[in-house]
Amino acid sequence: MPAYKLTYLNARGGAELIRLLFAADEIPYEDVRVDRDKWLELKPKTPMGQVPILEVDGHVICQSMTVVRFIAREAGLLGKTLLDQARADMLLEGGIDVGKLFEEMVMEKDASKKVEKKKEFGEKTLPPFLALYEGFAGDNGYFVGDSLTYFDIAFFNMMDFITAEFPSALDGYCNLTKVIRNVKSVPGIAKWLKERPVTDH
Amino acid sequence: MPSYKLYYFHGRGRAEPARLMLAAAGLPYEDIRLEYEQWPEYKPKMPMGQAPVLEVDGTMICQSVAIARFVAKESGRAGKTNIEQAWADMMADGFVDMLNKMADYVWYEEDEARKAEKKKTFFDTTLPEFLGYFEKLLVANNGGGGFFVGDGLTHAEAFFLCLSDDIIAEKPNVLSPYPKLAALVERIKTYPGIKEWLAKRPQTPF
Repeated sequence: MPAYKLTYLNARGGAELIRLLFAADEIPYEDVRVDRDKWLELKPKTPMGQVPILEVDGHVICQSMTVVRFIAREAGLLGKTLLDQARADMLLEGGIDVGKLFEEMVMEKDASKKVEKKKEFGEKTLPPFLALYEGFAGDNGYFVGDSLTYFDIAFFNMMDFITAEFPSALDGYCNLTKVIRNVKSVPGIAKWLKERPVTDH
Repeated sequence: MPSYKLYYFHGRGRAEPARLMLAAAGLPYEDIRLEYEQWPEYKPKMPMGQAPVLEVDGTMICQSVAIARFVAKESGRAGKTNIEQAWADMMADGFVDMLNKMADYVWYEEDEARKAEKKKTFFDTTLPEFLGYFEKLLVANNGGGGFFVGDGLTHAEAFFLCLSDDIIAEKPNVLSPYPKLAALVERIKTYPGIKEWLAKRPQTPF
């Protein structure tokens, strides 16, 4: 079994999906969380000056979605055929823009701009995205074929962040609600959700 | 042999990495270039109302990186092991970050003064730091005289060529501080299949 070491800040952020995937397949790993000073020291030693990074058997991989895909493959959660894998990829990429807008809103320091951005996100950005993805999710509660893939977990992670600001976002979306339920009932994930450090983001 | 149809507009843009991988693989495909007036008719048929879309025997895949990766995997050019695939992915993602930063000021910034400022920041600070990391990554692969990952072309090269086309158009000597990257551009341009595509592809402004 290769030794995995994940390095990120003390936050869920861009590393949490990776941690959820490790948890889903109960793959042991070192969950390293560095503070800002340690990060600045580490930065030039990373492949692209960014975290998260994954060290495995002496190799270093960066770019969070790449690490996600790498662990998904190890965990058997990538998708069964190339077309299944492409579907999962496409759904993941399709959510990135919405994720960025959400992040911008959360990170907005000016209070009145934040209220504006939150209204815009909640009324204009989120509803069409959820309506589109309700159509992509099957009524079995899986986005790709008939079994769990990393995209179900990615969608759960994204909604975990979003429902903190918009608690009733998934009301009325039957398929999406089933996806969330399927993900939360994976034993390794249920355990991680109970035990993980509680952080602001 | 599946049938491939690639839908996009009259341009390289977000479809070109897929076109380069299709060319490298020698896979025949219908290179559909829509006029903007046709788009409202096609948009509702696309999975996320966007292009490019690759249609494979009737199944539609959207998202430019997902498409390029799919073609790379279909043709055995995505990296040979799980780690190599991750490296190819990570580099492709890094190039896409840079392409998105350029798109940000080229397409999405309307204020002329802010546009000029963003472009300056990109070329003076963001890009050089990034290219520095990439020169190192290339050299780390056996001295940098080959490709980014393993011993063959992957989708990392396709995204790199698209980025270098755009940055060289703005600043012709932008790669001179990065000799290995500059030499790789030439190697990609003469890669079988890609060389022929580059000679015959429509010349478009973007």
